Amino acid sequence: MVEVTLLIEAMDTSFGLLEDARKKAVDLLDTAVKLTSETRGVEEKKIQTILKGAQEAKLEFLNVIATFVILLGFWVLLSGNYDFFHLTLGVICSFLVAFLTHDLLFANTRVGDAKVIFQRFIAYIPWLLYQIVSSNIHVALIALSKKNPIDPRIIRFKTKLESDISWVTLANSITLTPGTITMDIKDGEFFVHALDKKVADDLHAGEMEDRVAHVFMEADHIYVQDVLDVAPIFGELRKGL
Amino acid sequence: MDIFFLVMGMGLCILVLFVLYRVVYGPGVFNRVAALSAIGNKTLIILLIMGFVYHRVEMFIDISMVYALLNFIGTIAASKYLEMEGSIV
Amino acid sequence: MIKPSDDIIIKTLARVLAPFILLYALYVIMHGHHSPGGGFQGGVIMGASLVLLAITHGLKETQKRMSEKSVAIFSSLGVLIYAGIGVLCLILLGNFLDYSKLAKLLNVPLAQARSLGILGVEIGVGLAVMAVMFSIFYNIAMGGKRSEKDNR
Repeated sequence: MVEVTLLIEAMDTSFGLLEDARKKAVDLLDTAVKLTSETRGVEEKKIQTILKGAQEAKLEFLNVIATFVILLGFWVLLSGNYDFFHLTLGVICSFLVAFLTHDLLFANTRVGDAKVIFQRFIAYIPWLLYQIVSSNIHVALIALSKKNPIDPRIIRFKTKLESDISWVTLANSITLTPGTITMDIKDGEFFVHALDKKVADDLHAGEMEDRVAHVFMEADHIYVQDVLDVAPIFGELRKGL
Repeated sequence: MDIFFLVMGMGLCILVLFVLYRVVYGPGVFNRVAALSAIGNKTLIILLIMGFVYHRVEMFIDISMVYALLNFIGTIAASKYLEMEGSIV
Repeated sequence: MIKPSDDIIIKTLARVLAPFILLYALYVIMHGHHSPGGGFQGGVIMGASLVLLAITHGLKETQKRMSEKSVAIFSSLGVLIYAGIGVLCLILLGNFLDYSKLAKLLNVPLAQARSLGILGVEIGVGLAVMAVMFSIFYNIAMGGKRSEKDNR
């Protein structure tokens, strides 16, 4: 009889010890999991900030190089003599100015698109000159006629362009063609003063706006740099298929 | 060729005299500022024509670029001063 | 304190044109021997570009690029370059600003030594003039009030 009670007591204590050990093990496991998840979160945040800083540093470097090239071209255009001394001075001065003002020129566009935008801009200029000449003739005919048929009005229209350089290009093109003057731009809406109904209808047709959108690659055009970025990944996927 | 440029220069000077009427008699200050900017445009072209007359165009291109820059900054400063109704501070 | 203008055309044009104006000012300084220009004119154009940035983008933004400490350093640096070249000619046993004595130091013929000496002096003058022009504009725009950080 005594052996059975002794045996039951031994089993109780051993079960109690196993319970304690189990609780301690569960506690240890919980703290271990919590510690590793905290450190993992902190390390992930550190890696994210390092990556973003590297991206911004790379963008700044590209900005400096692009600004340096443009300024060196401007210097060579201004200065007539191309001997070694003046070209060295040009390189030093261009680098100094590019280092000081590198975030001014390419603030809202990407540097990779600059070549395409430049070519399309040079193709846009002859069409603009043709518009200027034809509007000039129209306004001169109005000013010299006896009845003086002017009908001044103010037009408002919303544009589909997004960045500020394209807004400024459109506003300057409108002001350069005689008969229309841009007064103000508020939240993407243009206020234009036009001289009579024909120039106002030309403006509402929107051909100038379409051409400026084509120059700056906006408004349902594919960004060239996006396609170039995706192309190698696409090539790998196609090889895998 | 020299006579052609001289006649063009004199024609532009007469046009400057027409705009000068607005600078003197323009009712209000905004007419005067806009007319001064127009006179600055014509002065630029007259400087370049003088460069052709004296056969030294390169020198006069530098001078006219500086004058264009100063005209631009002057017009912006005058219009900003008038916008704030008499004080920049 | 000049507030930034809320007209987007002037802001964009000023920010795109400012590097070209600065480069044109440096071109005017470097080509003083060949076309109209020199030290003082280039310094004034550099000051004008800073004034353009101050009118359109506000005075606080321009101060981030060219603070008052930088202005003081630039003006002193310009005078240091000018007087330094003069004293260097004195040390090499010549008169003050006698550029012919620099020919021994730089191993160039005599006429080119004079040309390089004048170029160095013009650079000093240009830096000093730019700093003083911006400082005068800043003091008139602030109307005599000083910011709290400067009272040291």
